Amino acid sequence: MLQKDLADAVGVTRQTINAIEKGDYNPSINLCIAICKALGKTLNDIFWEDDKNE
Amino acid sequence: MNKKGLDEMQIQKRNKIGNEAFIMIMYFLLIDAGLYGFGFRWIAYPANAITILAVCSGIYAARLIAGNAYAGPSENEKKPVLKTVFTCLASVFMAMLALTLIKTVRINDSQGINDLAAPIMLISGAIGIVVSVGISIIKRIQNKDHTE
Repeated sequence: MLQKDLADAVGVTRQTINAIEKGDYNPSINLCIAICKALGKTLNDIFWEDDKNE
Repeated sequence: MNKKGLDEMQIQKRNKIGNEAFIMIMYFLLIDAGLYGFGFRWIAYPANAITILAVCSGIYAARLIAGNAYAGPSENEKKPVLKTVFTCLASVFMAMLALTLIKTVRINDSQGINDLAAPIMLISGAIGIVVSVGISIIKRIQNKDHTE
């Protein structure tokens, strides 16, 4: 899925998604949940950093 | 999520830029008042405040556009050219309106305002051009940053 598609799905700009990916912006919990729903993943899968998922 | 208006990151940026612009206006006005106190007049009274406000507003708008906090997600589908043209026309119209009002009310020496009309119009037009060029350049740069 492209950044643009995800951005359209959750109602933010592509630059916001890009900033989240790069770690330049900390999203609100509502935006995190919306991203997880759009991607079909859990919060742990996407936002929890460990050895396997960084 | 709310698809109307700015998203949460844009709102944060807009608030930050707005606060800084407000402080900048206050400091410029204080510096202007201080210079006036020392006997240095760079422009007569109404024009100095208008110029400071116009410059700071231009900087505010340019920084908003540079920070991608001017148009929300729903605006990306629309063509920015029309919006840019309308912004330029509105800025020129506001400058003309301000000059007309100042001359009509006769707050101060209207001849001085007539002398300053051309520079103020030039500054307003220049700000409009800077905004429009900024929009096009930033859009190109941001669209190059596409990743998966």
